[in-house]
Amino acid sequence: MTALFVDEYPAEARLVKAAFLSSFIAFGIGALFGIIQALHRTDIFRFIDSIKYYTVLTGHGVFLVIAFTIFFLVGLYQWAVTDSLERGPVDIRFTWFWYGLMAIGSFLAAISILAGFLEQPPMVLGAELRANVLFTFYAPLEANPLYYIGLALFLVGTWLAGIDWFRTWWAWRDENPGKRIPLRTFMVLTTMIMFFLGSIGVIVSILVFILPWSLEITESLNPLLTRTLFWFFGHMIVYFWLLPAYLLWYSVLPKLSGGRLFSDPLARVVFILFVLLSTPVGIHHQYMDPGIAEGFKFIAMTNTMFLLLPSFLTAFTVVASMEHGARQRGGEGRFNWLRALPWRNPAFTGMALAGLIFAFGGFTGIVNAGMNINYLVHNALWIPGHIHAQVGTATALTLMAGSYWLVPQLTGNRLVGRQVALVQVVLWFVGIVFMTNSMFRAGLVGVPRRTAEPQYQGFDYDVGVGSMGELNAQLALGGTLLFISAMLFLVLMLLTVFNNDSEPLVDGTLPPALSGPEDSPQVLDNLRLWFGIAFVLVVLAYALPLAGIVAQSGLFGQDIPPFPVSSEAVIYLEFGLEYVGAFVT
Amino acid sequence: MGSRVSREIGHDEYDPWGTLSLIVIYFVALTLMWLFTYFIEFIGNTPTVMGMIVPVMLG
Amino acid sequence: MRIHQYEKLWIVGSMILIVGFIVTITYGSVGLGITMIGDEEETIAPDELNDDEQFGEPRVEQVGENEYAAYVVAQTFIFQPDPIEIPANNEITFYVTSRDVIHGFYVPGTNINAMAIPGQVAELTVEFDEPGEHGLICHEYCGSGHHTMEGLIVVQPEDEFDLTELSAETPDTVTSGEQVQLNATVENGQLEPLETTVNAEIGDQTFQQDLTVDGKSTQNVTFTAESTQLGVGEHDWTVTVDDYEETGSVEVVSNETAAAEGGEES
Repeated sequence: MTALFVDEYPAEARLVKAAFLSSFIAFGIGALFGIIQALHRTDIFRFIDSIKYYTVLTGHGVFLVIAFTIFFLVGLYQWAVTDSLERGPVDIRFTWFWYGLMAIGSFLAAISILAGFLEQPPMVLGAELRANVLFTFYAPLEANPLYYIGLALFLVGTWLAGIDWFRTWWAWRDENPGKRIPLRTFMVLTTMIMFFLGSIGVIVSILVFILPWSLEITESLNPLLTRTLFWFFGHMIVYFWLLPAYLLWYSVLPKLSGGRLFSDPLARVVFILFVLLSTPVGIHHQYMDPGIAEGFKFIAMTNTMFLLLPSFLTAFTVVASMEHGARQRGGEGRFNWLRALPWRNPAFTGMALAGLIFAFGGFTGIVNAGMNINYLVHNALWIPGHIHAQVGTATALTLMAGSYWLVPQLTGNRLVGRQVALVQVVLWFVGIVFMTNSMFRAGLVGVPRRTAEPQYQGFDYDVGVGSMGELNAQLALGGTLLFISAMLFLVLMLLTVFNNDSEPLVDGTLPPALSGPEDSPQVLDNLRLWFGIAFVLVVLAYALPLAGIVAQSGLFGQDIPPFPVSSEAVIYLEFGLEYVGAFVT
Repeated sequence: MGSRVSREIGHDEYDPWGTLSLIVIYFVALTLMWLFTYFIEFIGNTPTVMGMIVPVMLG
Repeated sequence: MRIHQYEKLWIVGSMILIVGFIVTITYGSVGLGITMIGDEEETIAPDELNDDEQFGEPRVEQVGENEYAAYVVAQTFIFQPDPIEIPANNEITFYVTSRDVIHGFYVPGTNINAMAIPGQVAELTVEFDEPGEHGLICHEYCGSGHHTMEGLIVVQPEDEFDLTELSAETPDTVTSGEQVQLNATVENGQLEPLETTVNAEIGDQTFQQDLTVDGKSTQNVTFTAESTQLGVGEHDWTVTVDDYEETGSVEVVSNETAAAEGGEES
């Protein structure tokens, strides 16, 4: 039995635990908001005003896909780099510094959002403290400057994390010249290159346009431009959520299955493909936008279809690695080997079920990507169906399953409630099946996303098979199961952290791949080359559309002021407009 | 988590034919779901946005 | 680089799928004529919408034999015009913009799906095969009243659809002995001439006039009634053209009252 991570690298383990703590706190709040939404929008139980729903929705998005996922990523990646390079960071104070920035940034964004629940939000930086703008914060909707500052600080902290890991790698390389980059570190570094490139869009949008505009330094901005810059970042970020799950599927899942990774070289190729293609596809989130030519939308579509390749490759490589483990465990036959897998192990089962959902969710992504077929699903409830299958399961469930394996090694404590953990992951799977199934079907009949009340006066949805009532019940049921599952996970984590007089059952050794890095050309490790090509592809995809937008409607738009989303002001606005509207028609 | 390894299978003796079978099923499933969703759900969900017969001249 | 033969097979299979998806989508575009919203329209500053020839007065107008344009403005939290009335089996091009924040323009149960972005104009051409009513909703979060933002698209049978507008007026009062002039204006927004009949009632007197209004023009009709025949007092009047009706009233005052009030017109 090798030494536990916490015993070999106690300082680094402390950092990883801090990151996971931030991640899990965010997860708990985000999950609570989720169940509120599931019951509210289905009109099964409404105890808040529909106006406050949008505060809940903003929180659900930011706490889960910014804080939960990315804090976990930095913890996981710190573990991965330390363990695979067998060394800590160059200066651990710098490591705590970037973590601190992320913690402060997320805290500022969080209080900006939560202040939306107050009847009298405080005045901060010259405006009411609120951020009812959702995770995408599309201008001209306006949040308090503190929200944007918080997000910016969080992103800067994440940037510095990437730089920290590059420094660690460079230091290791000096002592290990000519050696191939260990796979886990390779996955970390390529993920971060992808992040550096893609985050440029949103950083420019916030620092050059939205933040000065919210501080009244500038008077106008161009909403199509800031929206396009957001989506420059917005597709890459979904891979930022996915790649930590891929890291676990490639490096840990084979071991959990009882086998070895089928191909290290192919894993490298997959991550390189993500570096190259994750950003130049962003316009596929804007197929319905005016001001962007059909030609650019077509290019985004073809790029996106090619982005299927690394995920298709992953499916094969990861399943082949699982099959290897199953056969080593005595599995036989064309399909029977599946039964030889360690289904009693919650870490294994969680990841396997997450992968299964991901394979289906991938299909829904192909539909979203399909340019003209996007007319069928854009901004309909289908989209959250897709989101919850992918980041909500492929990522979240894998991260939870991975925690069952990793947290004992970080604490030196045995996992509490292994059987309950198994129930927890299966419950998540069942909850997701119900909830996303309802979302996909409702989306296809035209039920919209991101709304407190999808029930309208002037028309009924043409549901076809089943009824709205049945769809609502399914969504609420699925959401409830997910909430219970989330709470179970957090309880088990808490109990494990305090389970001090115990020894973990897991062992952290990861067997070498069946086909190792030596079977692949050295050029795969040439990160500078891949960054260069990725940069060129981004320029090709975005230079002309961005230039077109700026030429047509100006860098700072045409006198477009902010629309602060404050409950009181809008109520008066609403009355006024209803009057005007009735008068005009 | 100790795994029950009853035998070691090395690189050269391993052919993932189970995976291949599963991936063929996936290929077929994706194809059928795509054709259904595109040609029945999407094309059947009229009206759909088409090109103009004659571009409209606006003042 | 060593890649297992089965994985090579799957790489080929993946590429077949990827190319297949792209080919299907291209067929949808080129073969079926499905068009994406683009950037052909001029941009327009939101604070200039009221002065714009099209969006200053959101409306439906006929622009070709079987072609109509609908200028739609989305704003918190309504669509203008509401309802949007259009004929079935005709080509309708929507031009959609926003007065304030980013909104959606979505007809659930159809593929009519667009974004309304302030500063930009979304142009989309559709045709409804059947008459009926369709909800129009905003599907992009736009503020606290987002879930109330709803309009209606009314698709009328082609032969029942018109762009007729009727207005009518009389003076408020008429002195006994003078004539009551009821002036009706019929505007035909369509390209085809409108052949119709104008019916009017003033008090208990009825009138009828056949009328042909040329495409995209206006015609006036005046109905005259003798105030002595009506008698002193208030009389309701009504003008109808097809399904449109205008009503009002006119008061016939006696000569003494008129003199006493010294020509004071209310």
